[in-house]
Amino acid sequence: MVEFFTTTNLGIFLLILGQSLLVVVPLLVALAFLLWGDRKIWAAVQLRKGPNVVGAFGLMQSFADFVKYIMKEIVIPAGADRFVFLLAPMLSFVLALTAWAVVPFNDGWVLADINVAILFVFAVSSLEVYGVIMGGWASNSKYPFLGSLRSAAQMISYEVSIGLIIIGVIISTGSMNFGDIVMAQDGAGFLSWYWLPHFPMVFLFLISALAETNRPPFDLPEAESELVAGYQVEYSSTPFLLFMIGEYVAIVLMCTLISILFFGGWLSPVEFLPDGIFWLCLKIVFFFFVFSMVKAITPRYRYDQLMRIGWKVFLPLSLAWVVLVAFFAQYGAFWGAYARWTVGG
Amino acid sequence: MFKIEPDRSQYPAHNPDGSCDIDLSSGKYVKIWHGPNHPGITGNMSLELTICGDEVVEGRTRVGYLHRGFEKLMERRTFIQVFPIVCRVCVPEPDLNEYCYAAAIEELAGIEVPDYANWMRTLILEMGRFNSYMMYLGGQSGSLGMGVIGQWTTYVRDLMLDRFEELTGARVYHMFILPGGVRDVLPDGFAARMEETLKTAERYLDDVDKVMFQNAVFNKRTRGVGYIDPALFDSYGVTGPTARAGGATTDVRRDAPYLKYDELDFEPVTGTDSDIWARADVRRRDTRLSIDLIRQILVKMQKPGEYFAKIPNVLHWKIPYGETYIRGESSRGEYGYYLVTDGTGYPRRINVRGPSYTHAMALLERLIVNTNISDVGALMVSLHTYPPEIER
Repeated sequence: MVEFFTTTNLGIFLLILGQSLLVVVPLLVALAFLLWGDRKIWAAVQLRKGPNVVGAFGLMQSFADFVKYIMKEIVIPAGADRFVFLLAPMLSFVLALTAWAVVPFNDGWVLADINVAILFVFAVSSLEVYGVIMGGWASNSKYPFLGSLRSAAQMISYEVSIGLIIIGVIISTGSMNFGDIVMAQDGAGFLSWYWLPHFPMVFLFLISALAETNRPPFDLPEAESELVAGYQVEYSSTPFLLFMIGEYVAIVLMCTLISILFFGGWLSPVEFLPDGIFWLCLKIVFFFFVFSMVKAITPRYRYDQLMRIGWKVFLPLSLAWVVLVAFFAQYGAFWGAYARWTVGG
Repeated sequence: MFKIEPDRSQYPAHNPDGSCDIDLSSGKYVKIWHGPNHPGITGNMSLELTICGDEVVEGRTRVGYLHRGFEKLMERRTFIQVFPIVCRVCVPEPDLNEYCYAAAIEELAGIEVPDYANWMRTLILEMGRFNSYMMYLGGQSGSLGMGVIGQWTTYVRDLMLDRFEELTGARVYHMFILPGGVRDVLPDGFAARMEETLKTAERYLDDVDKVMFQNAVFNKRTRGVGYIDPALFDSYGVTGPTARAGGATTDVRRDAPYLKYDELDFEPVTGTDSDIWARADVRRRDTRLSIDLIRQILVKMQKPGEYFAKIPNVLHWKIPYGETYIRGESSRGEYGYYLVTDGTGYPRRINVRGPSYTHAMALLERLIVNTNISDVGALMVSLHTYPPEIER
């Protein structure tokens, strides 16, 4: 039996398929409840009750919405490019899920334990902008087109600073493997995690992640009071659902990346408690909560202000930080806090 | 011509009649409709924008989605039948319409309104102003993507609507001020319940101060945007908080006191910057002023006395020839009713002067040129326009 799954082509295929489902299905189910939580938090800030009818405390609301979306008719505008119009949400959805292939959930719990994991995540999340551009262009409508143009520029600008911030972490670890990055943070509980040596960059990363995933205050592509709904204007039913799931999967991915890169992934914050996937989930939920609160209480930047922050503030800061970290790492400053590559590969 | 004239050097010039020759076939410009179904627009009107990239080259206000022919309708109705129509001219603040119309009728028919009724009218006008500002604050933050303020202020407005309901029996269209006085006296314990509502309102306004006015993004989006040159105020008929945000001290409540405003202690709220932030700030402080005035009114009000003057049988009410113009300060600017009677049982002509007309038609078309398309919504809301006033 073991031989079948490790040697024959069919066996390997089935094994990988099963493992992928093991990642994707819990992720999507968790996402349903995160979405519920997002709406509940938003509602609580706004003095509303939020979803509270379907199931206990409205917990089944996301599933009811899911059924509603897939039962609706798919409306395609007359002048739209039908192929690209339908391809865009699929691309967005598939790419958002693909990035999870290299994300570890516990020691060794990873679908593809590759050594360039960060590059892979980075490449895939950069491709996600194509879904937005294609959706906006294929709709053959003015507001979606404006929205997709904005989105393209926005995602590219903030990816640059995210990349530079990650380089700092890579320099400290000496590896691009997520498992190695987490293990490099092992030691004296939460004090040895990267948030302490890379302190200012945690905030920059969080803000860039907001911009990268088009969340308020950087939700310019979807700006309701300006562009109605941006690139999603012409989308309905299942294609819209795919866009939305893709967007939320990307948000959870960003929460996971923050947890892994700066907050020790599955490591427990104190010595006497065991490490485990529980801690990673807790950290993801915490950062998702931060994302929700930011959405609930911030207004939106104007386009030129957003670009100014990205290129004139974040880029120089993260660039200077990379140089600083490289310097610290080379000379073992701060008792080697910036040079932990002995644990890595 | 105007100091406000934006730099149009790279765009086609305006013709003398205000139109603009834009060659859409050049591919440089795109025409988009901002409204009437656009979520960023106030009420049922739309803006026809010509944009070049993100920048607005030319904007035209297009109204007519809400035209119900109010003024013409009023001419076909007896004086008392007009009453349910006047409050529909401005949905969020109907009381001022009722007051202006009633005062015009009273002046032409020579009716003396009891003192107590005047106090009641002042009270209800301030309550209406408070409600209108609450809607504005929510709209202004909503136009920048901050939905939470709208929910908070709607909650506070709802509490005030409860007080309205207690007082008048209705929540939105109160029809409380009738020619001759008001319909009823204050209910028992009204002052105490009002005080409770005002305290809640102040608590939420403190939150609004912190979350909205001290927010860095809100400041960045609104400071210096949508500047109106104070020299333009007269030529464009800018009044009310929009003018006061630019340093003008025009407030009809102070300049030409009506009702009991001369017995109340207040100073018009003014700002200096004349941008979106200043306009929002003036309205925020004006809301506080309204709260203060409501408190003053409830203290200074006498014991319930006569609240309705004797008026003729309304079914056969004929008012002799005359014409008058009654003005009042609404939450958006100077409001006026011009009434002509010709001795019959019907008004000869009623003209409603709503501040939204000048603000949204002429001023907005000037202001949106050369702004970013993202600022159009915020700019429009900052003028605090209600489309029913534009197309009475």
